[in-house]
Amino acid sequence: MNIRRWWRRALILFAVLGPGFVTASAGNDVGGIATYSAAGAKFGYIVLWTLVPLTVSLIVVQEMAGRMGAVTGQGLAGLIRENFGIRLTFIAMAALFFINTGITATEFAGIAAWAQILNLSRYIVVPLATVVVFLLVLRLSNKIVERVFVVFSLIYLSYVVSGIEAKPDWGAVVHGTLVPAFSPEAGFLVTVVGLIGTTISPYMQFFLQSAVVDKGSGPRDLFNVRADIVVGSFLGIVIAGFMIIANAATIHHASLISHKPPLDIDSAQAVDFALALQPLAGKFAADLFAFGILNAGLFTATVLPLATAFIICEAFGLEAAVDRRWSEAPFFYGLFASSIVLGAGLVLLLPADKLFAFTFYAQVMQGAVLPLELVLMLIIINRKRVMGKYVNTRTVNIIAWATAIVIGGLAIVYVVQSIFGLGGS
Amino acid sequence: MTFHDGFLSEMIGRKAVVDTAGRRLAVGRITDFVVEHPDDTFPKIDALVIKSSSGKHLAPIGSIVDFESDGKLILRDVPSRVAPPDDEALYLVEDLFDKQIVDVDGRKVVRINDIEVARTGGALRVVAADIGFGGIVRRLGGGSLGRNLVDRLPRALIAWDNVAPLHDLNPTQIQLSVSDSRLARLHPSDLAEIIGDLSARDAARVVASLDDETAADALEHLDAETQRSIIDDLGHERAADIIEEMDSDDAADLLGDLPPEQQERLLREMDAATAEDLRELVAYDESTAGGLMTTDYMWIYPHRTVAATIAKIRDLAPETEFIYYLYVTDETEKLLGVLSLRTLLLSAPDDLIHTVMESDVVSVLPDVKATEVASTIARYDLLACPVLDEEGKMLGIVTVDDAIDAIIPERLKKQLPRFTKRHRHERIEHV
Repeated sequence: MNIRRWWRRALILFAVLGPGFVTASAGNDVGGIATYSAAGAKFGYIVLWTLVPLTVSLIVVQEMAGRMGAVTGQGLAGLIRENFGIRLTFIAMAALFFINTGITATEFAGIAAWAQILNLSRYIVVPLATVVVFLLVLRLSNKIVERVFVVFSLIYLSYVVSGIEAKPDWGAVVHGTLVPAFSPEAGFLVTVVGLIGTTISPYMQFFLQSAVVDKGSGPRDLFNVRADIVVGSFLGIVIAGFMIIANAATIHHASLISHKPPLDIDSAQAVDFALALQPLAGKFAADLFAFGILNAGLFTATVLPLATAFIICEAFGLEAAVDRRWSEAPFFYGLFASSIVLGAGLVLLLPADKLFAFTFYAQVMQGAVLPLELVLMLIIINRKRVMGKYVNTRTVNIIAWATAIVIGGLAIVYVVQSIFGLGGS
Repeated sequence: MTFHDGFLSEMIGRKAVVDTAGRRLAVGRITDFVVEHPDDTFPKIDALVIKSSSGKHLAPIGSIVDFESDGKLILRDVPSRVAPPDDEALYLVEDLFDKQIVDVDGRKVVRINDIEVARTGGALRVVAADIGFGGIVRRLGGGSLGRNLVDRLPRALIAWDNVAPLHDLNPTQIQLSVSDSRLARLHPSDLAEIIGDLSARDAARVVASLDDETAADALEHLDAETQRSIIDDLGHERAADIIEEMDSDDAADLLGDLPPEQQERLLREMDAATAEDLRELVAYDESTAGGLMTTDYMWIYPHRTVAATIAKIRDLAPETEFIYYLYVTDETEKLLGVLSLRTLLLSAPDDLIHTVMESDVVSVLPDVKATEVASTIARYDLLACPVLDEEGKMLGIVTVDDAIDAIIPERLKKQLPRFTKRHRHERIEHV
């Protein structure tokens, strides 16, 4: 087989992969693996149904972001600035920086978990990883980095294979997917909020909209933009579903048979979830799992701080470009560097056995913030002077508002529950 | 009136009071500023918008008694005129704060953080847009710490005559008249880069506001996809006018990318001769000499004198872009020779063209590949290379800039502005 020809073909394939696909790949990050794994391991197939409404919401929300980008030629941050003024923009950007830095930390936590599985010290590996991230961004073209990581993302397909190899109870899988069920167990609600937060991460909308703008897509390209988003979202959700199935069929199943207490998220370790890959990889399960989270962690740790810096600079009209020198774009590089350094530093400061719980609760936080982002998007996208004839249709409005209200409600119930100690995990 | 030069953000939110017989009556707070003639170079602020519980009212500049040091605005009488709706007047805060504009001097799209005003000639005028970090800090407040910070930050102000808004300032006019003249000052390739950064709607609006020639120059520098979306939005008549002004090779490339019906409709709007030329050019493959060539060149007969030829160049040069080579042809357009502008200028006025021309001409056939044309031009150090048919009849010329464009990889073109920027700054300083 001619390697060069194969490589060329692969490159052509990735040239047509749009922002939606890349966003979906970036969305299956360390937090995604952690949350889907924990959900499947703890609750089994009964959480699968949440992915159905989540798919609808994900597509609707991302389509809104893509449409806003194509019609206005501006990123979400720029639109927030134009529509809500500088104070709200400042608050939103501060929140975005805070959350994205937290998510960056979870990516480094994934890299630390990789180090742990390979018996390396995280105090060496994580600082090295920050250097690698800096080099990737500053020395290589963004597009190349993106494509390499997207290729490596194919490793997630091992969850699909492993999920099938584990011979799950397909009847239970179908039942769990189609019939909404709630577990009385503690931690169900927080898991659902985490699933929402990791599937429709707030940063993904910013990222996607900017990527659509960057690509130069206009209202004429809406069909392609939408197709790309739908395909990317479906692929992301299918992989998420199989992560849940693989974990349910192995870890959850085992705990049922042995009458062990269900998994405790607060004390879980990333390596515990390598078991889900055992039906496929046997004794190499831990290595495969480790490589998966390393790839996920490095990819998103590279893309996210960069995107954060771009978004904030866009909001405040500051110079932002990787090909500028430090002195030409001090705020851009400052934000980028501090997001990475703070994220990596946080991982080194946290106790090693709390890194998984930290990663999980970071997703819950994303879920809790999502309604606020949705409200901003909904207000902007329904303004005729911004969107012209491309304002939301009624159906899209209903689904998007329902998403915002349901998630907001869940987040509030969760907070109230935790305060009164009624649940929590 | 004791207005100080300063920024609008420092006035927004201040209390407005009316002083009647020593008693002060609060009438609201300053929220915005109204400009009636936004097209002026440094537009005058005509009124302040005072917001109170009873709504927004206008306080004309003339009714201001004092602006106290503690920040209170003293008015002669209670503002009573109801503020006009947004589409009938320009509100500086509502319409311009946080919005994108083109910085004509810096050649990029930026966002307005604050607006600087100054007292000149008895009026309060808009003088500059603040696009820097200082403007953000000022608007966010932050007390004395913020003020200290602002003083330390480098200022980033754009003089108002270099500000070209992307949205219409004066809603009653259809064209962006201010932006029009200001944007036309930009180099076409810079203008094209800015247009490329805008949304499809804004891009079409900006192009529509330009005169045909500037629009054509800018369009030539845009990528095919953006060109197409702009042409679609402009409407046939206007689009045809602009395409007519473009270099024939660029115009043909653009038309070639359009669906046949649209191509035909546009060609029918143009004058017959131009349309005929373009029809021929569209037929050639874009990556060949035929696709690269322009039909816009200077030709002369061999029996003319040098003096008459120079007179003809003077006559035609404004219409013709490339005048550095003159192509000598017979009545059947067969190419006989070529001479450069240099040769022409150095020859005696009475010399006949055929005695001074170079009759050994390097040329290419229309189906020759772009890369070959480029290497021909490079090998013979030409500024342009004629394209001839099998019988030696002149079809057009490929100029060196189009040849470079055709062979430089897309990736490299995108990197160019980085190097050219500094260079252009030097040029401006020398002027």
